[in-house]
Amino acid sequence: MLGVVQPVEDVKQRLRPFGLFFERSLKDLIKGIRAHGDSPESLEKYLAEELSHCREEVNSLDMNLKSNAVLKLAYLEMYGFDMSWANFHILEVMSSTGMRNKRVGYLAASQSFNRDPDILILMTNLLQKDLKYSATGGNDTYKIGVALSGVSSFVTKDLAKDIVQDLLLMLNNSKPYIRKKTVVALFKVYLQYPESLRDTFDQFVLKLEDEDRSVVSATVSVICELSKQNPSIFIQLSPVLYEILVTIDNNWIIIRLLKLFTNLSKVEPKLKHKLLPKIVELMDSTSATSVLYESINCIVKGQMLSTDDFDVAMKCLKCLNEFCISQDPNLRYISCLLFYKIGKINPQFVEQFDELILHLLCDVDVSIRSKALELLNGITHDGNLKLIVSTLMKQFVNEEVVVIENYRNAATRDVPIVVPEDYKIKLVTTIIKLCSMNNFINIPDFKWYNTVLIDLVVVSSDLKDKTRLGSMIGEQIKSVMLRVPDLRNVTMTTIITILTMEKMNLSTVLKECVWCLGEYSKLIENGDALIQLLIRNAPHFNAETKVVLIPAILKLFGSWCNGPANQDLPSIKIVLNDMIDFLDTLTTSSSFEIQERSIEVSEILKLSLDAVEMQEQDNSDEGGLPLLLCEVIPGFFNSYELLPILAGTQRRLQEEGQISSVDLITPFLTQTELSNILKDYDEIQEDGLSHTDRLSDHDGKYRSESDLDDSVANDAGNAAAGDEVHDDLHFLEEQRRQEQLSNPFYLTEESEGTKATTNDLLSLDSNDSSKREDLTLIKLASENLTANAGKTGERKKRGKAKRAVVLADEVVIEPNPRADSTTLHQKVAALNKSDRGINLVTQSQLSSFDFSKKGDDRELDDAENEAELEKLRKKFAAQSLDTSNVSEPVEDQEEVIVIKKKKKSKKKKKKNEEDVPDESNTVQNE
Amino acid sequence: MSHIKYLLLVSRQGKVRLMKWYQPLTEKAKTKIINDLTPLILGRKPKMCNILDYSDHKVIYRRYASLYFIIGITPNVDNELLCLDLVHRYVETMDVYFGNVCELDIIFNFAKAYDILNEMVMCDGSLAESSKKEVLYAVQTMDGMDDNDKLEKVLS
Repeated sequence: MLGVVQPVEDVKQRLRPFGLFFERSLKDLIKGIRAHGDSPESLEKYLAEELSHCREEVNSLDMNLKSNAVLKLAYLEMYGFDMSWANFHILEVMSSTGMRNKRVGYLAASQSFNRDPDILILMTNLLQKDLKYSATGGNDTYKIGVALSGVSSFVTKDLAKDIVQDLLLMLNNSKPYIRKKTVVALFKVYLQYPESLRDTFDQFVLKLEDEDRSVVSATVSVICELSKQNPSIFIQLSPVLYEILVTIDNNWIIIRLLKLFTNLSKVEPKLKHKLLPKIVELMDSTSATSVLYESINCIVKGQMLSTDDFDVAMKCLKCLNEFCISQDPNLRYISCLLFYKIGKINPQFVEQFDELILHLLCDVDVSIRSKALELLNGITHDGNLKLIVSTLMKQFVNEEVVVIENYRNAATRDVPIVVPEDYKIKLVTTIIKLCSMNNFINIPDFKWYNTVLIDLVVVSSDLKDKTRLGSMIGEQIKSVMLRVPDLRNVTMTTIITILTMEKMNLSTVLKECVWCLGEYSKLIENGDALIQLLIRNAPHFNAETKVVLIPAILKLFGSWCNGPANQDLPSIKIVLNDMIDFLDTLTTSSSFEIQERSIEVSEILKLSLDAVEMQEQDNSDEGGLPLLLCEVIPGFFNSYELLPILAGTQRRLQEEGQISSVDLITPFLTQTELSNILKDYDEIQEDGLSHTDRLSDHDGKYRSESDLDDSVANDAGNAAAGDEVHDDLHFLEEQRRQEQLSNPFYLTEESEGTKATTNDLLSLDSNDSSKREDLTLIKLASENLTANAGKTGERKKRGKAKRAVVLADEVVIEPNPRADSTTLHQKVAALNKSDRGINLVTQSQLSSFDFSKKGDDRELDDAENEAELEKLRKKFAAQSLDTSNVSEPVEDQEEVIVIKKKKKSKKKKKKNEEDVPDESNTVQNE
Repeated sequence: MSHIKYLLLVSRQGKVRLMKWYQPLTEKAKTKIINDLTPLILGRKPKMCNILDYSDHKVIYRRYASLYFIIGITPNVDNELLCLDLVHRYVETMDVYFGNVCELDIIFNFAKAYDILNEMVMCDGSLAESSKKEVLYAVQTMDGMDDNDKLEKVLS
C-alpha cells in the first residue's frame, strides 16, 4: 500500500515550495475568512472547520505542510484561538534546517511560547545548536539572527544560564548584524538572569565603542532599559555616553541617550552641571520636536531644574508654549503633561501662562482639556477664578460645541464634541477644588459661589458618580454656611432652592443641607411649612440624611415656636402631631441610628404635646407657651454657636493634653464635703422653691452668662454661696466656668448639663436626689478631665477659633496673622503655602527616586545586587502571571524563591561578602 | 527609547490584523484590552490627539488609511512622540518592502509584517534598529534564503 501512495505524496511535496498546495494555504484561509465575513455565525463555523484542518495538518510528517499549518495557526491566533496546544509542533518546525520553515517556527514560537517551562527545556538544545551555526559560515548569519530574535522573546532563567556563554562569544562576531542581535538578546538574558550582568558587564559595555552604529544604538538602548531598573551601576559610563551624545547626529540615538541620562541624573545630581548646558544647546540646535520634547523631559524628570532656575524653566516653557499653540494635538497634549511637571517643581514658573491654559481649556480635544484642568491649580487666583469657573460651567451647558473639521476633499464638516461623563465629573471636582482651595482664598464673592453651587447641583444630578459629588457639594454648602455668617440668609435660600428643586436626584447633597436647616433654623420664619415639606419629602431621603433630619426637625420646631411671630397653641399642636406621626414611622427603621434618634425625639415631642394640651386646658386665656417648648427644647441646641475648627485639632489636643498626668483617682470632694453638699442640696429643695421657679431662676442665670449652660454647676454654685465651707468648691466651679467662657467647645458637657435640666423638670414626682448627686460627681470628674486636657491646647485653639471668627466676619477668608497667633498658625500658613503648589498626583516617580537614592551611597557590588534583587522580584512577579510549573501559585512562589530569600536577608544585613563568592561559584559550576 | 507593552493593528471595521504582545498577559487580559480599545480608538475624531490614558498605561495610536496602529506604552517612561515616529518608521519600512503598502498586503503577508517588526523592535518592546535600510536588507536577505530553500527542495 505504501508503494502506491508514495509517488503521489512525493509529487505533492515537491510542488509545495512553489506555493502549490493541495491542502489549504494561508491565502485560502484568509480569503475564506473574508468571504465569510458577512455573518458572524458562518464565520465562526468556517473558522472551526479550518482549525480542525490545521489540527490534522500539523500532525503530518511533511515539514512544509506542518509549517504551513503552524503559520495558519499563528494567523488564527489573531481571531482569539489559543495555539499553545501546538507548541511541540512549533518546536519541530523550528528545528527544521530550511530558513523558511525555521522562520515560521520562530515566529509562531515568539507569539505562542509564553514561557511554558516544558517546551523551553526541550528548546535549550535546539537553541544552542542554532546559535553555533556560525562555524559553517555562509548565509547562516541570518539563521543565527532568527534564533537570537527568538531568544529575546522567550528566554527564561534556565535558558539564559545555558546560553549566556554562547552569546558572549558572539559579541565579538565579525558580522555587525549578529553583534547587534546579540546585544539585544543579552538584554533579555540579563533581565532573567541578573548575575550574568555582573560577570559580563565589562565585555558588554565595550560595545558602546563598536565601530558599527547599529550595534552602538542597540547597546545604548539596552543600557537605557537596564538603567531604569538600576541606574547607579551605569554612572561610571557617563563620560563615554556623554562623548556619544556630543558626537552623534542620529536623533533616534540622541533621544535614547537623553532617556538614559534622565535615569542617571536621578541618582547622580552632579551630572547636571555637565549635561544641562549641552541639553540647552541641543534644544537650540535641533529641529526635531521629539528631540526637543525629550530634552525638556530630561531636564524636568532628571531633576536638573532647580526651583530658582528661572532661565532654563522659561526656556522650556517657551518651547512648550510653541507646542501648545501648534496645530498638532499630540504636541498640545504632551506639553500639558510637561507643564504640569514643571509647575510641580515651582508653581511660579507656570503662573504667567494663565492665558495659554485658559486657551487649552477650550481645546477641541477633550483629553487635552482634561489635562489642562489639572494645571488650573497653579494659575488660579482671586482675579480670574470667576472667569475660569464660568468657562468650565459653560462646558456643561453648551454640550454640543460644534467645530469645523478637516478640509479633506475641500469639504468642511461639523462635528459635535462629545463631552464624556468622566470629564464632566472631573469638571465638577475641579471647580469645587479650585473654589475651596486654601481656605476659600480665591473666592471674591460668596453670593456668586452660592449660585455656582446651585448650578453644580443641577449639573451633577445626572452624572454617574453623583453619590460622591453630592456629598462634596454638600460639604461646600455646609462650609459656606458655617464660615460666612454675613451671608447665611443667602446660603439658606440656596439650600431651600436645592431642597425644593424638582427632579432633584442628587440625594447625597441633602444630608449637609438638612443639617444646615436645623442648625440655622432661626433664619427661617415659617418653620412649620418647612417641617411639613421635609416630612413630605422624607421618604425619598437616604438613611444618612434621615439620621440628620430627625434632630433637624426638632431644631426647626424649637426655633419656630420661639420665633418672632408668636405661634398659637392649636397650630403648634398640628405641627407636633405631624412630627410625632412622622417619627413613629421611623421607629421601625432598619437603621439603628434612625430608630434610636426617632424614638428619643418623638418621646420629647410627646411630652411637649402633653404640655401644650395642659397649657390649653389650664390657662387658655394666656398665650404663653409651655416651658418645655420655650426653654428646654431650644436649650438643647442654642447654647452657643458652632465654629469652624481646623481639621486634626481634636487629635492634637488629645496628644498635647497629657491626659496621663491627670489625677484620676483622688476624689474631688472628701466624704465630709460631699455630705455637706448633699445636705445643702436638700435644704434648697426644702426651701419651698417650686421647680418652675427654680428653673426660671436658673434660666435667668443661664441667659446672663450665655455661654454657661449647666444647671448642676449652678446648683453647686448656689450651694456654695449658701455655705462658706464650700469656698473651695466654689472656687473650683468659678475657675471652670471661666475656662468654659473662654472656650466654648464643650459639647459633651453641655448636653449632659441640659439632660440634667430636663431630668429635673420632667420628673415632677419624687426626685431621686442621691442619684442626682452621683451624676454631679461623675460629671464634675469628667469635666475637670476635659478642662485640664483643654488647658494646654486652649491657647492654640483660641487662636484658631478667633481667626475663624474673624475670617468669617470679614467674609473673605484669608490667613490673618494675629498677635496671639501661635505656632499652630504658622503651621496653618505653612500648610497653605504647600497647598499652593500643584498637588502631587503621580507617585511612581517618587518611589523610583527613593530606590535609586538608596543605591547611591553603596558599593557598586551592593548596588548591583540590589538591581538583581529588583529584577528577580520582577521576574518572579512575571512568572507568577504565567501558568507555571507548580499547580499552586503560592507554593510555587515559596519554592522558587529560596535563593531570593537568602538575598533578601542579605540585603537587610548589608553584608554580602560571604554570599557573593558562593554565587559566583554556582555560576561557574553551571 | 520606547518600552512598548503591545502593538495592535486594527482595521476600521474593528478587525485585528496584527498583534504583538511584549508582556506576558493572559488570554483574557488580551481580549479585554482589544475589546476596550477598539471602540475607544475608532471613535476618536480626526482633530483629537493620538494619546489617551487607558487603565494603568498610555495608549497611542495612529491611523494610516483604514488601519489603526495602536501601541500601549508605559507612562512617564516612554516618549510619546518617539512612539508615533516608530509607528511611522514601521509603516515607511513596510511601504518600501511591499511597494505602497495597503491593508491587504499586511493581511496576506502577516508573517512578513511580523518579520519587519521583529527586526525593528525586540525584547520587551524596545527599539532595536531604527535604520530603515538595515531592516529592509535583513528581511530581504532572509527572503532570499527562503527562496533558495525552495529551490533546493525542488531540486533534491
